[in-house]
Amino acid sequence: MRRGLMGWNAEELPLAVLQDRTARLQAAMQQHGLQALLLYTNLVRPSAVTWLTGFTPYWSEGLLLVARHGAPTFATALSKRVANWIRSVSPLGEIVNGPRPGTVLGQRVAADASVRRVGIVELDALPSGSYDDFSAAAPAVELIDATALFSEARRGADEAERRLLARADAIAAAALEEVDAAGAADAGSVAGQVEKHARLAGAEEVYITVAPDLRADRRMIRASPSLALGDVYGLRVSLAYKGCWIRRARTFASDQRASGRPDAWFANLVQAIAPGRPLAEQIAAQVRPLGAELENWMAESCVGSYPLQVVASSHLPGGRAPVEGDFTVLTIALTAGGVPWLGTAPLIVGGRL
Amino acid sequence: MTSVVTHRRARLAEAMRQAGLDVLVLAGNAWQNDYLRYATDFAILEGQGLAVARHDGEIVLYVDSFLEAERAAVECAGIEVVHAADLPGALDDALNRLRNRRIGGAPYRLLPRRIAARAKDLSLSDETAFLDALLMAKLPAELDAMRRAARLADDGYAVFLKAARPGRADYELVAEIEAFCRGNGVDDNFQIIGVGGPEVRGMAPPSGKRLKAGDLVTTELTPCVDGYYCQICRTLVVGTPTAEQHAAHALYRDAMEAGIATVRDGVTAADIARAENDVFRRHGLGDYVTSEYTRVRGHGMGLFADSKPHLLENVTTRIDAGMALIVHPNTFHPVVGYMVLGDALIVTNDGCEVLTRMPRELFSVPA
Repeated sequence: MRRGLMGWNAEELPLAVLQDRTARLQAAMQQHGLQALLLYTNLVRPSAVTWLTGFTPYWSEGLLLVARHGAPTFATALSKRVANWIRSVSPLGEIVNGPRPGTVLGQRVAADASVRRVGIVELDALPSGSYDDFSAAAPAVELIDATALFSEARRGADEAERRLLARADAIAAAALEEVDAAGAADAGSVAGQVEKHARLAGAEEVYITVAPDLRADRRMIRASPSLALGDVYGLRVSLAYKGCWIRRARTFASDQRASGRPDAWFANLVQAIAPGRPLAEQIAAQVRPLGAELENWMAESCVGSYPLQVVASSHLPGGRAPVEGDFTVLTIALTAGGVPWLGTAPLIVGGRL
Repeated sequence: MTSVVTHRRARLAEAMRQAGLDVLVLAGNAWQNDYLRYATDFAILEGQGLAVARHDGEIVLYVDSFLEAERAAVECAGIEVVHAADLPGALDDALNRLRNRRIGGAPYRLLPRRIAARAKDLSLSDETAFLDALLMAKLPAELDAMRRAARLADDGYAVFLKAARPGRADYELVAEIEAFCRGNGVDDNFQIIGVGGPEVRGMAPPSGKRLKAGDLVTTELTPCVDGYYCQICRTLVVGTPTAEQHAAHALYRDAMEAGIATVRDGVTAADIARAENDVFRRHGLGDYVTSEYTRVRGHGMGLFADSKPHLLENVTTRIDAGMALIVHPNTFHPVVGYMVLGDALIVTNDGCEVLTRMPRELFSVPA
């Protein structure tokens, strides 16, 4: 569940920004002949609804209906008391409560004879309970997948999103600075220290994973007090601030010379990612002068309901080429001077976070 | 020593054989993970997971996050882990290979639409209630985990008390708890909080409110140990409690103790809720035990923080020995505001074993 600081600040996320985003989506809906769009949210898949409304559920689930005009309608099975909390943490317009949100919104769509086609973001993955309720209440309406439509409409981070992402990144980077690479006792206490710092700085959510001995295994797992840390270990912070998620990972070595050079190289790489050229090419070109061995890489972004999902990687030939203004979280794994290294950082393609 | 998940998997396979189920499809995510975790033991953080569990004990976990697939492969012994960016598509393919078997799904409402749409074709039935029965009636190893979680809930509340002081923000208190949790092997924690006076109608995640003299600070703290959530509910006052706050707390304590005194094998969830609510009604506060002011009068605990059964006067679920519950008459009080008090317990044949050791008092911290 979300248990960090949650709230809406009109200066951080102006209502006009949310209205602009909704208008962008409504324009795309019109182009595709959709009279309405349905989006699902829970605390694991909040990001499409958060982008449109600023709202993230701390628990349970809900559905957002975007009509051709006007503000979206949010339907939730949560009580009216929780609806008051929702109003306190987001500028959501209409909130309807009911045991079956899909039924409520389906009835609303069915009552409007002009609605013939409704798009659903991530239709195949929509929980069957929500789908069954909605489709049963609106049997004459054609339901089509609108995942690509939404992804394209929300592509490119606006200024408000960049500011929130930058704040999230600053919190994560500062929390990782707290780690004493040589003095850390165990993975659990290091994770607790980093998480506390991040939450005190206002993080909405923090997930910390660790590769306790990078020489043995690069995979990140949950930190626990029973995990001893090796002389080279990795720590990843996945962090949300006001619904905007980033990741940062760093390699910590008892001999800081082992990680210092790749760290500096990676900081430059993140600034240098440019639009138009495939990431694989850009990364390969940058690795050569470092004289390190590139093990793998991965690029994530927020393109749908998930906070971050892979959009390109060394395991996925092709992938989408970066576009100016794309928000991307880049992960690189190297072997430099015989020492394993990994790093993750967020970036805006062709710009600054 | 055999791990708790080994016991669970053996029990699941046996229950499937007895029910004539060949395959179970279990869905989960970081919000509702109890069904998925029962078989896989994976504490999923990001994305969705779907497990295909066979009655012969073979389990395949599909996750749509690459990072989570890597983690599951390390953390989950004895199962196969598959990364599937297109999760519904991968499961669709997997189920094609299991045609002509009796397949069940749980929790059915969270199965992807693409899978549920093939219910007839696949002979896919809703087996949520089948899993619910296993989740509620716990094995001895599961109850041991609940006891360990209860100790950490007590210790966590002590950390919370120490952290609470005027000027601190609600999220700073939660930060202290989370650091305690990570340092003590607690994977997850369900926690909501309320800060203020009569204007406070419930608890929620932190909003940035700062503690001040006279505030009631309420919290539900629910650490997760080896997958098992155990809750404690307590209220503190910043400064010296007023006579009204003391009187209100005494009422909540009477209600909670009336509920706990009712617990034993064979009663219903409604019996426990009614015992709690009758105390409020006797004090003329019957309106405040309705859905206008409160959600439930307690609930089950286990692999989900808010498990079945919900303790409500209209829930007739039988309470069995071996269930883990929290009894909490949490609600709004018209004079002092929202107040909480709740103890965790395990149902026994003739009563219950109360797990919570933190005193049932209205705590206070210096103003």
